[in-house]
Amino acid sequence: MEFEFTEDQLELQRAVRDMLDAEAPPELARAVADGESDAADFWQTMAGLEWPAMALPESAGGLGYGWVELAIVLEELGRHAAPGPFVATVTQFAPLVAEVASPDQASELLAPVAAGRTTGTIAVDEGSGTWHPDGVQAAARRDGDDLVLEGTKHYVLDGAAAEEIAVAVRLDGELRVVTVPGSAVQAVGGIPVDPGVRHATIALDGVRVPAGRLLGDGDASDAIRRALEESVTAVAAVTLGACQRIFDIINAYTKERIQFSVPIGSFQAVKHKLADMYRDIERARVLVYYAALTLAEDHPDRTLAASMAKAGTGEAQRRCVQDGLQLAGGIGYTWEHDLHLFLRRAKVGELHFGSASHHRRKVARLALQAGAA
Amino acid sequence: MRLTYTSEVEAFRAEFSAWLDANLPDEAATAIRPRSSADIPAWARDFQRRMFDDGWLVPGYPPEFGGRNASLYKQAVFWEELGRRRVTQSFNPQGLGIVSASIITFGTEEQKHRWAVPIMRAERTAALGMSEPGAGSDLAGLTTRAVLDGDRFIVNGQKVWTSGAHDADVLLAFVRTDPDVPKHKGISALIIETDTPGLVRRPFGDITGRPPDFNEVFFDDVPVPRENLVGELNDGWRVCTGSLAHEREMLWILWSQGLDRMLDDMLEQLNEGAGAGAGAAGDPVVLDGLGGSIMDSWALRLLGQRQLARSQRGLRVADQSLLKLLGSEAQQKLALLMLESLGPVALDRTVPEGAQSPYESDRSALSWADRYWFTFAGTISGGTSEIHRNIIAERVLGQPRG
Repeated sequence: MEFEFTEDQLELQRAVRDMLDAEAPPELARAVADGESDAADFWQTMAGLEWPAMALPESAGGLGYGWVELAIVLEELGRHAAPGPFVATVTQFAPLVAEVASPDQASELLAPVAAGRTTGTIAVDEGSGTWHPDGVQAAARRDGDDLVLEGTKHYVLDGAAAEEIAVAVRLDGELRVVTVPGSAVQAVGGIPVDPGVRHATIALDGVRVPAGRLLGDGDASDAIRRALEESVTAVAAVTLGACQRIFDIINAYTKERIQFSVPIGSFQAVKHKLADMYRDIERARVLVYYAALTLAEDHPDRTLAASMAKAGTGEAQRRCVQDGLQLAGGIGYTWEHDLHLFLRRAKVGELHFGSASHHRRKVARLALQAGAA
Repeated sequence: MRLTYTSEVEAFRAEFSAWLDANLPDEAATAIRPRSSADIPAWARDFQRRMFDDGWLVPGYPPEFGGRNASLYKQAVFWEELGRRRVTQSFNPQGLGIVSASIITFGTEEQKHRWAVPIMRAERTAALGMSEPGAGSDLAGLTTRAVLDGDRFIVNGQKVWTSGAHDADVLLAFVRTDPDVPKHKGISALIIETDTPGLVRRPFGDITGRPPDFNEVFFDDVPVPRENLVGELNDGWRVCTGSLAHEREMLWILWSQGLDRMLDDMLEQLNEGAGAGAGAAGDPVVLDGLGGSIMDSWALRLLGQRQLARSQRGLRVADQSLLKLLGSEAQQKLALLMLESLGPVALDRTVPEGAQSPYESDRSALSWADRYWFTFAGTISGGTSEIHRNIIAERVLGQPRG
């Protein structure tokens, strides 16, 4: 095992960070939060740099980088609270299509994704908040050369904006995935905690699509699970980056803020909170990178690793949001301070794709099953 | 980044594994157990000597000192193999891991062969005299005095928490040799034979109720030859921090393996499905805690591997406090979880005496309640958790000293 980035990966990390420092400063996240920008230019910049193509296979017009490289990008997106359709398109729509679709369908659907011309998302969860495919009740029935859908999907990321939605439905007793144009469904977005990460409820009732939009053959349960392992790891990587940014802000602030004539970082009560934040972030960091590595190598531990990464970053965000906001004092409680941009990104990451507690229990069940085998 | 070791490292593992198959003592021979951390039964002395002679005791050392100049990754798989088989490297862990290691790092050639080699070959045993009644977290505040008198030091004072001292042949003791300079600059390291007149050892029991391992050690005009000074006069703090940091890339493995043993035992007990374990395995609260402990175990291993990779590239490694904090508190959390999950059965001895590996010390035979007590040895000794949080904040995160 060699558990550290290669020189090339470190170079990529620097390049991504530099680009985002320039193109996605806090002002961009703030403009989105204030409703003054849809960050469309930023998505075009990313597309121009071929970031959407990075982790996609070369057969689909991608660059064929691995999942570790993708994790590096995702962490930096979180560190910048960057807005836009990258996460839903590249880490949710693309993996689900790649897992489920036939080779012809996959290249047809993913080539425009790789080129940054199409945005996408997935619609799996129906209200449980666990994204467990067994919970899918939405259905499709055949009507001539069409499929007619019924049901409601919840927490669809970018659900009101994505151009293509890969929807999990029941058909002829099997779990299947069908792509639906975003324009064909009714999407209702709530008022988001993080305006840079919006989810929507999607009504499928009566939506009619050509049967050719049905992806692949046979039951897709396992394929959906595998794709979700990528989506879960991606949300974890974004959350990790948001936690790191919170920590960076607070670790600098406690050195500068003078009270009782000394920096507040000289107080042990403050130091211990910072040490615990650092510990939880580093613990989450290695779990995220491990999950990325198991995805890159399609290792059997990928199921376990994805849940550990999600739970690990969930625990890290809990501490960083709680203690970060507390240590920032009054200034962190203001709208003007940038801290809340990253607190929001971190907190949203906990609730999407299964909570820390949900994934911890899954980790325990996997370990007990492995022990019993 | 990659998941596997190189084939060269795996070949090294296979070679060590084959050596263990051929050389591990017969289980029947292992009936005599150590009574303290400096008491090595004859069968274990014989095994440790064979490990030394065949270059498998400390693989990173040269053959002269019981190794084979192995790389960091090879040392890592060496530890993995020992852990997997539950074989203890030495029943005198501080003697080997700290005392002999300090002498190898800071001692003269003569001292290495006179003191370190016999300790490594388990011909003699050693204990570490650091803490004092008034010097715990503030170790540099130690006051045991050594005054140079011709070709010898005269030592007066007291050590405490000296593990295994009553069974040790020698102590590596840190003493004050100059009281008139800043505290870190007036300390020296001395090797002291425990049968020297004026040295008295008084063992005392610990909270787990097992046979005493700790000692108070009193020094009353104890003469120590000047040649027993390790390192330069008044340069003992460097020896002290160097000894605690010895094999700094590897210390995490012991935390990791200790946690993994507890986890293995817990999973086995929950999977047995009998008694309280059956209910606990289906309890979402227990599963929630168990999942967290499994993540602690993985994180510890991965952080340790990251440290190895960085060290291998010649980068500074700075995560020892993080790994110690994470490892010791993870063990405590897991023991407490098990204690609270199983109900009163956790108060019973859960592992029958002798049912565990014959090649490790007896600690895992304790009940979960006893194991919980024992985890405080981890969060208190070697720098308390509070001290390590300060170290992380100041030295890693750059916060000002308070």
